[in-house]
Amino acid sequence: MSHPVPRLRAEALAPCPISGHRKRFDGTATGGRAISTQADIAAAHLRLEQVSCRIGPRAVLEGLELDLRFRALGVVGRNGSGKSTLARLLAGLMAPDAGQLRLCGVDVAADRAAALSTVGILFQNPDHQIIFPTVLEEVAFGLRQQGLRRRDADDAARAVLAAFGKAAWEEAPVSTLSQGQKSLVCLMSIVAMRPRVLILDEPFAGLDIPTKAQLMRYLGRYHGSVIHVSHAPEDLADCETVLWLEQGRIRDVGASGTVLPAYLAEMTRQGEGDDISDLPG
Amino acid sequence: MISLTSPVRTRAHGWPAGLKLGLLVAATVLLAAQDALAFHLCALAGTLGLYLLPGGRFFRAGLRALRGLWPVALIVLAWDGLTGDPLGGVVVVLRMVSAVALANLVTMTTRLSDMMEVVHWLGRPLARLGLNLRALEICLALVIRSIPALSEKAGLLRRSWQARAHRAPRWRLIPPLTLLALDDADHVAEALKARGGVAGPKTTKLP
Repeated sequence: MSHPVPRLRAEALAPCPISGHRKRFDGTATGGRAISTQADIAAAHLRLEQVSCRIGPRAVLEGLELDLRFRALGVVGRNGSGKSTLARLLAGLMAPDAGQLRLCGVDVAADRAAALSTVGILFQNPDHQIIFPTVLEEVAFGLRQQGLRRRDADDAARAVLAAFGKAAWEEAPVSTLSQGQKSLVCLMSIVAMRPRVLILDEPFAGLDIPTKAQLMRYLGRYHGSVIHVSHAPEDLADCETVLWLEQGRIRDVGASGTVLPAYLAEMTRQGEGDDISDLPG
Repeated sequence: MISLTSPVRTRAHGWPAGLKLGLLVAATVLLAAQDALAFHLCALAGTLGLYLLPGGRFFRAGLRALRGLWPVALIVLAWDGLTGDPLGGVVVVLRMVSAVALANLVTMTTRLSDMMEVVHWLGRPLARLGLNLRALEICLALVIRSIPALSEKAGLLRRSWQARAHRAPRWRLIPPLTLLALDDADHVAEALKARGGVAGPKTTKLP
């Protein structure tokens, strides 16, 4: 990771302002579009109306009600609180059993074409995401999925690699990369698709401290809104708003400065108990 | 074996994938048509010569990729030895090693997406009959991805077994490995769906 990092050509990475009306990549990433900055990006709009979700007999999420505009939203909660299910709902990978969900006005589960330019998700295990044997093919895959021709997709993928200072990775076999490097490939692959919202479902859990710090810095090159799901409050320090889930319900939502300390105090209190003994059912 | 990549860039990386696959088909047909021991010895020597062209690193990587063939070779030799045709067994083994080595050579010097383009081209007549070529391409990529992924998982299971047992697990790994494969498939399907699924660009056409 010691490559000199060229200045980011932000227009290659910034999401399109209007979902469903993406402009084509011109490949060189130097087209006539103005360079967007964080301030230019409209805040993402999340609207949940009585959203419930069941997995088998268990109600994982119940009656979530939310109307929120954000650039960086944190979602905290204990294991099994419904965080990952919420992440999947927000990414449109599953539909709620009841209620309505709109992200930037898009029903992401029903309208998959619009969802691709609205939301991207980074999973915990990069091995589940990576399909292709070399980096360029992997980064270009999502772009081909969005309808770009092979050559255009390759050019656009190269532009993204260059913007991340990883032009030299183009032909690198994915199997030779470290876990942290694979996570970066996943991040670049999603960012290449320029979604307005990026969901992070604890993607850096299990990585060492320097790797995590470096990946968080690369994450800063994505200029859209972020939803960061984690059980660890320190991961969410950069989020202005935090949503606290407990047993499938919203326990609290508000400024991170108030929600996170309350969450930490409650987690410390629960840690003194012994609910690990409780069996489900 | 089939998710091979080359440690060095060779001149063959620049050749069209269709040409390389075409030559591979021709060579394989030729190998299958010949029965003479001398021919197969020469063919194998020639193949190894091709591996030597890009240098020692490429040669060693190529040999490593062929190591997995030895159990099959052993079975063939044992069988033909028992049935009284040891020379025939040697020919079969030489033919197999040459054919796999040549196929590996193509894999090592060709990007998967270039091979998928060839599949796309070959499948075009079928597309008119309603075959979803994009789905076919992604399926091929997934099969190739899954083989090393599964063998890695099998390795983890074996270690986990050996940590608490003194005998080899053998067939007892099959049920948990099956479940792991299904679980892995679920995760991959989800990640694939997040990037547009297998329906292909048709449904996500840009305006």
